Amino acid sequence: MASYQYGQGYHGSGGQAPGAPQGGYHPGQQYGGGVPHGQPGYGGSAPGGPYGPPQGGSYGQPMPGGTAPGGPGGPYGGHAPGGPYGVPGSNPYGSPQQGQYGQASTGNIPPGVNQEAYSWFQTVDADRSGYITLKELKQALVNSNWSAFNDETCVLMLNMFDRGQSGKIDLYGFSALWTYIQQWKSLFQQYDRDRSGSISQTELHQALSQMGYSLSPQFVQQVMTRYAPRSANMTLQLDGFIQVCTKLQTMTEAFRDKDTGRSGNAKLSYDDFLTMAVGRLL
Amino acid sequence: MAYYNHQNRPHGVPDQGFLLSVFQRVDTDRSGIISDTELQQALSNGTWTPFNPVTVRAIISMFDRECKGGVTFTEFTGVWKYITDWQNIFRTYDRDNSGFIDKNELKQALSNFGYRLTDQFYDILIRKFDRQKRSQVAFDDFIQCCTVLQRLTDVFRRFDTDQDGWIQISYEQYLSMVFNVV
Repeated sequence: MASYQYGQGYHGSGGQAPGAPQGGYHPGQQYGGGVPHGQPGYGGSAPGGPYGPPQGGSYGQPMPGGTAPGGPGGPYGGHAPGGPYGVPGSNPYGSPQQGQYGQASTGNIPPGVNQEAYSWFQTVDADRSGYITLKELKQALVNSNWSAFNDETCVLMLNMFDRGQSGKIDLYGFSALWTYIQQWKSLFQQYDRDRSGSISQTELHQALSQMGYSLSPQFVQQVMTRYAPRSANMTLQLDGFIQVCTKLQTMTEAFRDKDTGRSGNAKLSYDDFLTMAVGRLL
Repeated sequence: MAYYNHQNRPHGVPDQGFLLSVFQRVDTDRSGIISDTELQQALSNGTWTPFNPVTVRAIISMFDRECKGGVTFTEFTGVWKYITDWQNIFRTYDRDNSGFIDKNELKQALSNFGYRLTDQFYDILIRKFDRQKRSQVAFDDFIQCCTVLQRLTDVFRRFDTDQDGWIQISYEQYLSMVFNVV
């Protein structure tokens, strides 16, 4: 069926790769050279910033009595684990300031940099380059069962806190990342109701409901199938939990931009759809 | 000589003995299964940086039938062909042999695959799949770019039953569509 323009791109290449770029999608002229959609907000796409699920409407139920305790993206931001773009030095999270008075070894922590993050940074930045690469980052981030963060989450964190788009993180970026992860960690512990050290499907569903997302059990199950490794009894570790919540935030934000009537439905063109998904790819 | 034999075979079906020797070299812990890390170490993207881990994961999961977190020798045959096919495609479009595909080359490639995309969207693609920060796309990122695009297109097409290029979907449908792809 659907014999689109497959194949003519394979000049001289042997056969079609499994799932290789099969044809595109252009039943009409709708897909080509359409009117540029000047949607704002794609560039840079401040991932994981305090996009909360919207209050009310069909996305999430209104928060009973204000925000969930520390819930990421309570309707008015603030409580979400901070976006990566906080001004270094403003230290909004009240991390210890006493570093300056500490022992000589930590005596030169720049203002606004979390002390714990500082010492981790020194440990992990083995080549003393002043920057942490993806590989070095992977050594710094561990789950509560001491497994390293999965690669996808490390890439996600790197992209969020790499302000120079250089593929590596400086001390300020790392400090912000550190604080961000600590906040997710405390939420993780809060939602890990049975204190098992990981989040089950039921616990994830409860967590997302408290954050204001109204999602069916089927969807949550789908998420678990994708993100919970079988090796861990189909439960989420901190890395998977951060990954799921961050993606949910950015995707909700993208959809909400298109659902102008807040009906819970949106009409999307092929170009809209691709732009929403790829433009916010983290 | 081995190389010559390889070239003379029908599309992408190299000699089993040759493949077995590759498999054994890649399977560094001799477990009989090639893991993400082992495959990643064996692959090169033409730069000194590690092969895109997301691409590696996607390739492994595509051929790992039992979700065991790696591929057996039989499955590796498919992986080999898959990567070789992508290499050929990449070389076809990397006209200046730079090892990278720039925006024009990407346009050429995706247009030939049948995609009709806006110029703005190409900018987004380049920005998102340029891990080397050169405004160009390396081999490993090119694979990721094409597979993401293909999966998004497939899922869109499934909802676009009247094939007019527009879909009407609910919030949760949207999440289901994209959550597994990106």
